[in-house]
Amino acid sequence: MDAYLIAIGTIAGIYLLLALGLNLQFGLTGLINFGHVGFFCVGAYTSAILSTKGVPIPLSLAAAAVLAMLAAWPLGIISIRLREDYFAIVTLGFSEVVRLIVTSEGWLTNGVQGIAGIPRIFRDGAGEAQAVLMLGLTLAFCFIAILAMMRIVRSPFGRMIEAIRDNEEAVRSLGKEPAGFKMQVLLLGSMLAGLSGALYAHYIGYISPDQFIPFVTFQVWMAIIMGGVGRISGTIAGVLILMFFLEGSRFLRDFAPFIPEVSMASIRLGVIGLALILFTIYRPQGLMGDFTKR
Amino acid sequence: MKLTRRQTLASLGLAAGAGLLPRLALSQDAGAFRIGALNPVTGAGGPYGTGMQKMILAAAEAVNAAGGAGGRMLEIFAEDTQTQPQAAVLAAKKLIDVNKVQAILGTWSSGVSLAVIPLTNEAGIPLFHCSGAPALSVPPANEKKLGYRFQATNDRFGRAFAEIAKKEGFKRPATMAFNNASGIGNTEGFTRAWTAMGGEVVASVVYEPAQPSYRAELQKILDAKPDVIVTGSYLADTTIILREWYQTGEETKWIIPAWAANPELVKALGPAVVEGIISVDSISNEGSPAFAAYDAAYQKAIGKSGLGNVYAAMAWDMVTVLALAMEAAGPGADASAINAKMRDVANPDGTKVSSFAEGKAALKNGKINYEGASSILDFDEFGDVTPDFAASFIRNGEIKREYQVKL
Amino acid sequence: MTSFVELLLSGITSGLIIGLAGLSVTLVFGIARFSNAATGDTMTLGAYGALMGTSLTGSLLAGGLIGLAAGALSAILAYVLVFRPLQNRSPISSLLASIGVAFFIRAVLGVVFGHDQMVFQMDLVRPFRLHGVRIQPNDLKFAGVAILTLALVFVVLHLTPIGRRMRAVADNPLLARVSGIAPRPVMFTLWAIAGAVAAVAGILLGMKTVVSPESGWDMLLPAFAAAVLGGIGHPVGAVLAGVIIGVAQELATPFVGFTYKIAISFLVLLLVLLVRPRGLFGKIEGVR
Repeated sequence: MDAYLIAIGTIAGIYLLLALGLNLQFGLTGLINFGHVGFFCVGAYTSAILSTKGVPIPLSLAAAAVLAMLAAWPLGIISIRLREDYFAIVTLGFSEVVRLIVTSEGWLTNGVQGIAGIPRIFRDGAGEAQAVLMLGLTLAFCFIAILAMMRIVRSPFGRMIEAIRDNEEAVRSLGKEPAGFKMQVLLLGSMLAGLSGALYAHYIGYISPDQFIPFVTFQVWMAIIMGGVGRISGTIAGVLILMFFLEGSRFLRDFAPFIPEVSMASIRLGVIGLALILFTIYRPQGLMGDFTKR
Repeated sequence: MKLTRRQTLASLGLAAGAGLLPRLALSQDAGAFRIGALNPVTGAGGPYGTGMQKMILAAAEAVNAAGGAGGRMLEIFAEDTQTQPQAAVLAAKKLIDVNKVQAILGTWSSGVSLAVIPLTNEAGIPLFHCSGAPALSVPPANEKKLGYRFQATNDRFGRAFAEIAKKEGFKRPATMAFNNASGIGNTEGFTRAWTAMGGEVVASVVYEPAQPSYRAELQKILDAKPDVIVTGSYLADTTIILREWYQTGEETKWIIPAWAANPELVKALGPAVVEGIISVDSISNEGSPAFAAYDAAYQKAIGKSGLGNVYAAMAWDMVTVLALAMEAAGPGADASAINAKMRDVANPDGTKVSSFAEGKAALKNGKINYEGASSILDFDEFGDVTPDFAASFIRNGEIKREYQVKL
Repeated sequence: MTSFVELLLSGITSGLIIGLAGLSVTLVFGIARFSNAATGDTMTLGAYGALMGTSLTGSLLAGGLIGLAAGALSAILAYVLVFRPLQNRSPISSLLASIGVAFFIRAVLGVVFGHDQMVFQMDLVRPFRLHGVRIQPNDLKFAGVAILTLALVFVVLHLTPIGRRMRAVADNPLLARVSGIAPRPVMFTLWAIAGAVAAVAGILLGMKTVVSPESGWDMLLPAFAAAVLGGIGHPVGAVLAGVIIGVAQELATPFVGFTYKIAISFLVLLLVLLVRPRGLFGKIEGVR
């Protein structure tokens, strides 16, 4: 039982890093990033390719974070000044293009065959000890990210991005240019997504392009919207809800045997859809938030 | 969460730091051999997963009814892969760590099998799967030789396509492949085999799914004037491509894998369009007693003919052959001892048997050779089955098997 | 040369479908002022509606009309239940909710109809030749339906009183309200038209390809690209832009290969936003 919980905890930690990045972008700054999975994908492939070629894992993790950031940079230059919903569509397209690139450039990514045999981060010792170490590392990254997030919120930078979220025009009329701040936020969030992707690749051990579909992005969106936009406690709660939802459906069969099993995938999708609708209409501040400005 | 009192106790014990308690608690049930049924119940594999799961249960029931294998009863723990690597890894971890299974049976898509096999290798237990990716045969995936493939590899399918193209006297083949591991595996296998015979492939295209039109792809192929087009494709894209092809008025022949060139395709396009298409399949062991037993169980569990779900037949065989290996290895054998007996009970030289009960009896008098429901089930050095193939032709809307191909 | 012309024709046909989807996006954007991500799944719903209608009535035409009605009805329902409660909030709320609507529609279709493909039973015919160029009769029919749909939308927008009011709201919602235009009938008409147009696009797509619960979502990016390229809120622009994108996708393959051809619409989108954010025909709007 414990090893299963450790596994769930590790996956939850990986999602939490993703969600923290998105919360920084949307919750604090109001950037609608529908392409989060693209940076996750860049991170996963970077670390997988480097480490299978013999690069030490600490380096490949760092490279994953940096490369995801670098991938966000040109995207930011092109689209950061766009109106928010245009930005959303452009980022959605971006993540699809990333997926197309890892699909087609087989010389680098092994194409649709995917990359198998990605080395574990902790290779020595028994399986259980490895799993605990991996969980510890993931949670350590989460912890650092959360601390950083809390510092950001209290810093002048944090007040600035929240001001941008709440009223971009007002910020501009004070003589501050929002684009630069938004760019920094985009880069930071992408870095977290890249790191998260790298951990994911080393943990699962096998990646292929079809693991990086937009649906992943919207799962994270559901998490932060349900948990509470803009609050770190909300992000954590949201990720826990998401994990409960993803893994809980494994046990749903015992309670609702009348649901045909082939329909489960559709039902998961429907629940995510319904959650997005209901929370946007009735509780935009999420479960934890007192954030009612939206 | 489905927790038995025993497991709750076990986890409580662990929480208290008493590492001994779970082992003690579990040892009460050491009589049963635990098997994980890890099937694609939801997601892309959904049409097959439920049938696979039910057949694992049914075959285990048959084994238990015959008095168990190697003195032990089988106990099945079923989980859903959702046809997704991430969910499958979590499910496999649950099966291995919570349920302490000693074998995992029935992963389906290559992505899932590739993600799960490091875990089963680490636990030292066998993984039986029906994925097509060639990478599953060799290290690192199969470094411990614990992986067994119950389905022909995509590469092997491609070789069968080449044999058929030669036999039909085609000179200028072209290939079209769906952009995934299985689609490309088929056409690359074909191209390798065809060029090895001294032939030449005049054009080839790899296409992305979910497009409003495949006209540009088709045009590139048709411009090369092929006499036959070999595909690695699925039902939906094959339907669209054939519809567009027919409306170009060209008269090319087609060789298509049977999972795409099936009665659904005929229904979707009408007999005129699909006339003369060659549909290639690995041979299920349809006339065999094992197939009859499986078919009866499938009818009972699902209410449909077992012909519609080849993977369920494979799942049936997985349990049966595992149980026979357990029986051959004797009481109390561990995973590696059972693994060592796999080829002894499945490969030739030995009394041919077609059910667990029959095999159990025959084992008393020497070697056996299980002839399965999904194929005659002989494993090569990589743990892959090596079935023969059949070429079927669509004529007047009927798909008729015309000859067999041995590789 | 003939194969170039044939690809051009094929591109125009798929382009008209993209254009119709783009038209639905652009209408909603122009009047309700948000990007409706549920457009793709409304298309799918329309296609399933038409399939059911066809098998019930036995006639493709009657089935198509039923599909159209299904699309319109679902769009109105989405408006009443989801988008109207959100209309005074930021467009982001509506965009997020529209993704929820999209997922929900797809989930319902998946549960009700399963994931096996369904097809429209049509007579497939061999092409005829015009100066050596193969002309496919079915393509002509699809183009005909698409153009007829466009014509109808224009008649409603430009020749009826409700259409005039709709255009007034699109131009300046505040002014429209001050001049006494009641928002309710305008919004109902808008959603009915947007849903029906999306349904037509979905039905045509279903006839050209196959129908499955996922099929519409994949058209979303091209549809948005068409709406933006055409100048958001500009109906003719959206359709023309759709055709341009469709043709570009078919003709670009010699240069970019087959996998990247679906990235073309994204490229178009980016270029337009960078170079000419108001699109081909749009008035200067706050894109930035």
